[in-house]
Amino acid sequence: MSVTDISLTDTGDSPMRSKEPRPADFLPLTPAVLHILLALADGEQHGYAIAQAIEAITGGAVRMGPGTLYGSIGRMVAGGLIEESARPRGRSGDDERRRFYRMTALGRRVLESETERLARVVALARAKNVLRRPEPA
Amino acid sequence: MRVVERVFDLILRLYPRGFRRQYADEMRAFVRARLAEPRHATPWGAFCLVCHILADCIVGAGREHLAARAASASGSRAVPFRQTLVSDNEPAEELMVTLVHDARYAVRTLRRRPAFTIVSAITLALGIGATSAIFGVIDTMLFRPLRYPAPEQIVVVSMTRGGSLREPPAYPDFLDWREQSRSFQSMGVIRSQSLNLTGRETPERVSGNFVSANLLTLLGAEPLVGRLFAPAETEVGTAAPVAVISEGLWRRRFGADQAIVGSPIVLNGQPFTVIGIVPSTFAFFGGTEVYLPITYYPNNAGLTRKDHSMFVVGRLRAGVTIASADAEMRAIGARLAEQFPAENAGSGAHVESLHTLLVGDVRAPLYIVMGAVTLLLLIACANVANLQLSHAVARRREMSIRSALGAGRGRLARQLLTESVILSTLGGLLAVAVAYGGVAGLITIIPIDLTFFNPIRVDGRVMAFAALVSILTGVVFGLAPAIQASRTSLTDALSTRTGGLSARVRGVEMRGVFVVAQLALSIVLLVGAGLLTRTLVKLHHVDLGFDTSNLLTMEFRLPAAKYSEPRQISDFFTRAIAEIRALPGVRSAALVRAVPLSGNSDARAYAVAGAADPEKGQAPILQLNTVSPGYFRTIGLALVAGRDVNEHDDADAPPVVVVNETFARREWPNASALGRRIRFVDSDRWLTVIGVARDAKHFGPADQPTPQAYIPYMQMPQIFTSVVVRANRDALALGPLVREAIWRVDRDQPVWKIRTMDSLVANTLGSKRVLLSLVGAFASVALLLAGVGIFGVMSFAVAQRTHEVGVRMALGASGGEVLRLIVGQGLRLTLVALLLGLAAAAGATRLMASQLFGVTPSDPVTFAAVPVVLCAVAALACYLPARRASRLDPLTALRRE
Repeated sequence: MSVTDISLTDTGDSPMRSKEPRPADFLPLTPAVLHILLALADGEQHGYAIAQAIEAITGGAVRMGPGTLYGSIGRMVAGGLIEESARPRGRSGDDERRRFYRMTALGRRVLESETERLARVVALARAKNVLRRPEPA
Repeated sequence: MRVVERVFDLILRLYPRGFRRQYADEMRAFVRARLAEPRHATPWGAFCLVCHILADCIVGAGREHLAARAASASGSRAVPFRQTLVSDNEPAEELMVTLVHDARYAVRTLRRRPAFTIVSAITLALGIGATSAIFGVIDTMLFRPLRYPAPEQIVVVSMTRGGSLREPPAYPDFLDWREQSRSFQSMGVIRSQSLNLTGRETPERVSGNFVSANLLTLLGAEPLVGRLFAPAETEVGTAAPVAVISEGLWRRRFGADQAIVGSPIVLNGQPFTVIGIVPSTFAFFGGTEVYLPITYYPNNAGLTRKDHSMFVVGRLRAGVTIASADAEMRAIGARLAEQFPAENAGSGAHVESLHTLLVGDVRAPLYIVMGAVTLLLLIACANVANLQLSHAVARRREMSIRSALGAGRGRLARQLLTESVILSTLGGLLAVAVAYGGVAGLITIIPIDLTFFNPIRVDGRVMAFAALVSILTGVVFGLAPAIQASRTSLTDALSTRTGGLSARVRGVEMRGVFVVAQLALSIVLLVGAGLLTRTLVKLHHVDLGFDTSNLLTMEFRLPAAKYSEPRQISDFFTRAIAEIRALPGVRSAALVRAVPLSGNSDARAYAVAGAADPEKGQAPILQLNTVSPGYFRTIGLALVAGRDVNEHDDADAPPVVVVNETFARREWPNASALGRRIRFVDSDRWLTVIGVARDAKHFGPADQPTPQAYIPYMQMPQIFTSVVVRANRDALALGPLVREAIWRVDRDQPVWKIRTMDSLVANTLGSKRVLLSLVGAFASVALLLAGVGIFGVMSFAVAQRTHEVGVRMALGASGGEVLRLIVGQGLRLTLVALLLGLAAAAGATRLMASQLFGVTPSDPVTFAAVPVVLCAVAALACYLPARRASRLDPLTALRRE
């Protein structure tokens, strides 16, 4: 076996665990999780509506498939970032089976931390003049 | 669109059960919503969506499995969020880079072991290709609409009578239906009958259809040259002698000369003016060559309520459902039954879609073949998985080194999965060639009229199906090696020995599972093939009642215009028979209206003298045939009482009839039938029974005994007849001579369907034979693959146990004992497979009950024979490696460790 037989991406970072969930533990967020949190920032939604909202706010750049969406939702529920909510009133016309999700307090704090982190990244980028177009003042 | 949802259900199965329970319904709703988006309405849009969902969910399913595994390993039920999210859920770009690396590495690995790669790819190509070819047929015939415009509106209106929903109506029924119904945009009628085309060099029989004008427009026909029928041209009273011909006939017979439009051709001895040509893309009823107005349909009874031989096709109005049209027609049918009690008593009308009517008989065989080929594909998958596993063991060191360098379990599993999917994609590419061949072959053996359907070919949908199956098979057979690799223990594998004992045992165990699965699946196929073989054998041995050897049959129809008088017809027949009998090599010859097994038949309601007259519409039905003297002797149908019809039973003599044993037993159970009298309910003429013949199967070996009656030709001359000739030897060689003999009587008389009785018998078994040959072929390949599978596992086990065998032999075990040990191990696997396979077969064969004859789905002979065959193959496959083990030199064996 030669050296080239070892794939370059074999080395990954080792997992970290903590008992008390702190927002920092969740960072950085994957694009899927970040987008789902952003979509839920306006209020509770069901899965398909989340995907549509993401597609709308990213101008069609991010189209989420069912596997990514519900995989992420499953982990976010397990991680306590979002939770299932009782079906809101006035939406009885929707499919009976539709489940609605809303952001938890932890989820909101995680989203805030992540956006702060991103803002710092953007500020850094601006300081180094790598932003192609400066933000209008 | 339902197909997409079905496919998605399959994809969902890739997910861990817990995840599925939680989110499957949600994900289905999601996919439905996505499908409903306008951008996915086109086939291309839907295809893109399917590809996106497929890639997304397959990657997602792998991730969920790893997450579930990590959760159970850490002992907590909740998945640690960061671990799964950060280490496995990489951003898309990084994933792509990894995939490209994995793919490159996989291609290198596969190229390093060409034998494995080629064998696996070919195995998969056969499985995927055969599955795709059959999918292509099923897709076109069952899932896709017929080839006409707006095909969902096209329905067939039939008559119901005495429990049967599909009786042909008479022409006046059609007129009443068309007049009274409101559910249809238009309703057309069709009557198929071959025509004599004369006036050119050789008389020829062409396939003809007598139609009403709107039948062609209703089905969306457009003329290639000229025009189609005007409505008045096909109605009684205003009919014109005009004909529309097919592009095929136009090119073949008239050299594609446009001048034929407007000129006359002679059909059934009468001139018709050709007004138009329909392109060959328009087809109905197996390639019609000539369309004539329905009003020229030649038959003795004319277009009366007695002639039940029409086929009525309707196009529903937009928005009208089949159910509501059926309700309307039922009411109209009931009204007509009251209005015309003499002819329509007890009858009604029924509407069903043309598509349903056409595929009714082929649905079950197609699904059986699809089931069989899917089993074969699974067996092929198991085979390749086995090959993969044996290599996985060999690659354990490589995996360990990568693991030591920091590759996670998921990473290694994904690498192996990538290899499998690349292998199956290679198989899928080769499978396209197999699918092309398979579709071409299937078209030639499917025993039904394909002209109504879109052309069956390897199109985008079949390709997409093949691609989907390729990826799925890659995942299916790649999962086991991947899971096994991800379990590899570092210290175990890196030790200098070829591998730890536990890993070795696990390798054998997992391969054992695959062999059991293969054997069990083969049993299901073998039992299916066995039952079909027994069915064919039973059908072959059914006593048809007559002797089929060296019997030649052919058909002809006299033109009604030329032979209008009964005397002319019987004169022609008498002279033709005399000419044929004079030919060398002819032992005897006779005329019969409907040759047994030819598909032609005639049925009449009858009444018996001395019994109360039956209620209207309740009269018993008999199969009627018209025969010339010597018919019974010629086909070898024995008379059990009385006499044959003879030359004296002519038009001036008292009317006579020969009945069959079932008839005699049913009507006169305790007395002789001879001298009794019967009549047909539509006639006042009493016929005296002069003989009783044995029962003859008329449609096929599976016929139930039916009352049959034979009346002499001279007493009921008809223009359509068949000739049966008993030859001294090779019957088919007599064909041209017999045709010449008929032409000596009338030069303009075409003769067609020159066939031997043996070929007619083979025809009636055609669809069963096709089904058997397909399932049988799959079963043989399955058995071969299973045999190779068990051989591979046993060889592997022997190689792994060399040390143990050495110790045993050093301690005094004999060669025979070692042989028993190894063979015993293999047979234990076989036994488990037998139990599982027979149980599965018992369930599966129930689904094919409709295709069996003379055997039950749980036929003990088949269920006893299959295990014997399988055990023989398994024993041989185990014996070869076992013999090698028993001949080991203990010293060499011990030294190897």
